[in-house]
Order: sequence, then C-alpha cells, then structure tokens
Amino acid sequence: MSAYKVKVDKDLEDLIPTFMSNRRKELDTLRVALAAADFEQLRQLGHRMRGVGNSYGFDDITDIGKLIEEGARSGDKAALEKHIAQYGDYLSRVEIAYE
Amino acid sequence: MSSVTDLAATGQYAPARAGFRVLVVDDDPDMAGYLALLLASEDMAVDCVPDGRSAAGAILKSAPDLVLLDVLLPDTSGFEVCRRLKQDPATALIPVVLVTALEDHESRVNGIQAGADDFLSKPVRREELIARVQTLRRLHETRRELEARRLAAEVQRKEAIRKAFSRYVSPRLAERIVGELGSEQAAFGDAHRLHVVALFADLRGFTRLTESVEVGEVVGMLNEYFSVITEAAYRNEGTIFSMAGDSLLVGFNVPFPQPDAPVRAWRTAQDMIGSFAPVLARWTQRGGMPTGIGLGIASGEAIVGNIGSPHYMNYTVIGDAINTAARLTQMADAGEVLVSGAVHEAIRGVLPAGRVEARGDVALRGKSEPVAVYAVRP
Repeated sequence: MSAYKVKVDKDLEDLIPTFMSNRRKELDTLRVALAAADFEQLRQLGHRMRGVGNSYGFDDITDIGKLIEEGARSGDKAALEKHIAQYGDYLSRVEIAYE
Repeated sequence: MSSVTDLAATGQYAPARAGFRVLVVDDDPDMAGYLALLLASEDMAVDCVPDGRSAAGAILKSAPDLVLLDVLLPDTSGFEVCRRLKQDPATALIPVVLVTALEDHESRVNGIQAGADDFLSKPVRREELIARVQTLRRLHETRRELEARRLAAEVQRKEAIRKAFSRYVSPRLAERIVGELGSEQAAFGDAHRLHVVALFADLRGFTRLTESVEVGEVVGMLNEYFSVITEAAYRNEGTIFSMAGDSLLVGFNVPFPQPDAPVRAWRTAQDMIGSFAPVLARWTQRGGMPTGIGLGIASGEAIVGNIGSPHYMNYTVIGDAINTAARLTQMADAGEVLVSGAVHEAIRGVLPAGRVEARGDVALRGKSEPVAVYAVRP
C-alpha cells in the first residue's frame, strides 16, 4: 500500500510532532464518541479537523473532517464508521516532507 | 529567542523587539500554535489563551494590539467575547479578527453585529492571515501615531495656557487651572460672585522718588519691588489681578476656594514687608529716599471673571471689598498693614501680640458707612 505524501512548510517542522500526536489522540476520541453515538462531539471534532488540517498542509485531514462533521449532523453512523476508519488509515500511512 | 515548541508550555511567543502584540484565542492548541508561529515570523509578539474567560483576563492585564478570536470556544462564543470587547470603551478600539470554519452568511452577519473588524476562514491561508493582520497593524499604528500627535498638541496647548496664567497666579495654581481645562466647572469660566479677600500693596513715597532718579533706575527699582512682592503673593497662593504704577492687587479664595483666605492674605502682607526689607535697605544705602510698603486687606462679596471686550479682556475682580482694601492701603503708613474689622476678626488668632492697634470706625472715601479699621505692624 502506498503512503500518503504531504509537503509541509519547513518553518512548521517544530510544530509537527505535537500536531501528529494530537491527531492520533483525536482518532481515539472519535472512535470512543462513535461507540457512544455522541454525534455532537463527533461534529465538533470533525469541525476542528476541518479547520486545522489544511492550515498545516494536510488537505486530507480537512476533507475527512468535513465528511465527519456532515455525517455527525445527519446521524449517519455507517458513514462515520467509514470516515473514521479512513482517517485511521491516513494517519498510519502519512509521510511528511518538509520543504 | 523562544522556540515555537515553548509555546505550548508558556502560551507566549515574543520575538526580540516585537512592538505589536497579538492575542490568539483558540481552544485548539495546534491552530493556536500555527497562528502564533506565522505572526511571530512577522515580528509580532503573541499570547495564546484557550477560552473567552482567559481572553478577558489577559486583555484586562495587558491590552493587546490585535485579537485573533476563534468563534467556537468551550465556554462562550467568540461573538460574545467580541461584543464585550467592543462595548467596553477601554477595549473598543482593539481590532478583532474572527477566525472560523463557519462559512455561512449568518455567522458573518453575527460577527459584523458583534463589531468584528475582519474575518479569517479556516483553514487559514498563510498569505491571507499575514495580509489581513498587516493591514490592521498599519491602521493601528496610524491611529496610534495620530493619537500621539493629538496628545502632543494638547500638551503644547496646555503649556501655552499654563504660561499665560503663570503671569497672574502661582505656578501651583496655574497647574490646577490647566488640569481643570474642559471641565464644566472650570474656575476661569463665566463671571460669578464670590466671597473674596483682597490685598492691596503700595510703595509709599515712590512717586516722589521717581522725580529724583533716572528713568532707567526707576524701572529697575520697580522690577525689583514687584519681583519681591509677586513672589510673596505666589508663595501664599494668591491670584494677582492687577499691577499698576507701584500698586499690586492680590485676591484670595479666588479662583479656587481657600478656607483660610484671610490668614493667607495676612501672611502675604507679612511676607511682602519682610522680603522687601533687604531691598529697602539697599535703596537707602544707595542714597534713595527711605520708603516702604503700605498694605490694606478687606473681605466681602465680589464679581470675578473675564471682563472686557473681544479685543481686550482681563481676569478681573470688582466689588466693595476691593474698594475698601484700596482705601485702607492709601491710609497705611510704610511697613503698616490696615485690615477691615471682618478680616481682623478672622486673623486675630495669628496676629503678633502687642502689634495691633484699633483705629475705630473710620469713614473711607466713597463709602457711606464707616469701617472698623485695625493697624498691624508685622
């Protein structure tokens, strides 16, 4: 399976370890919220992903966040399961290049 | 310089010589860190707080030059934080940029209604953030420069007024008058009626002296005399109303209340005679005609204010007390202070024992009723 390659501005390099650590914690929280069918928390987390992802150069995080936010709004648990799994896959295979 | 990773621990990031301070309000530490990094790269100092309550505390502690405010905060909405900032006169001028992933029309309208100066959409584009913040920074700096110029002009204006008033009143009183500029109860406003204590000082025998000495010498002597008695008036917080020939009129309890006005007038008379003594000794030594100061003090209602025409105006005091003080001065011998009965009653506790002589009720020129007069030799 190929990796997700992301180009990040060199001056953001110091921030990235914390950023990625927070994304992994976010994934765990998403899974817990899904199990509890806590759609409000899922919506908020999706909203946050949407805002922060692209700012750092992670367009996919913004896109997945948008889908999670929409799924939470409509209460579509199946779609949310799919998007959260997609997010987990993304985080496990993302490769960052600083330039 | 602090590294960006310090940000999470301290909430602050301040490049050297940063003169523009930004407060970032965002509960997402990654977004706050990102914004702080970009702003710091533009030589701005950045503080980060996670909620509305912390933002209010940080602003109260030290007002920033700009606030970047997330709309969705854990404790209150960014709209509400913005509204409070804009309603408080102390913070209303701080530019607020709402940062939000909300793109709907209603959110923008809410932001405008809350008083936001600008908007920034998440994801935040580096170029857009810098452009918007730099624009607000320029506006802020222009406003600050204009404010500094306005303040400098105000200081200059007050200094000019202070200098002008310093010719009539003591420096301390001039400061107080300048401090009250713009106040509805400004002491130098419209003419009004006041209880005034008036002191006249006059140089006995000086007119004859002027006939026997050179003009230049007369001017020098008058300057020396007025310097001494003016200083005495200022030391006791008197207001000089007129200086004519060799006489000086000083008012007390005007323009500001002086509960001890009669005592101040008496102390001024003592001070004038005492301070003038060495000058008088020098004049006598130089062969001039012996002379001295005669003084009169009276009190009563008077009209005080700027009186004259649009072309020539004087801060003036008019009333019976002034006329009485003038008449008493004419009667006073050199080194003698004549005071009216009312003034004597007010200062008798501070007069030197054995130096007061009651002259009885005296008919003064221009007055229908006789006036009780007391002569005091300090």
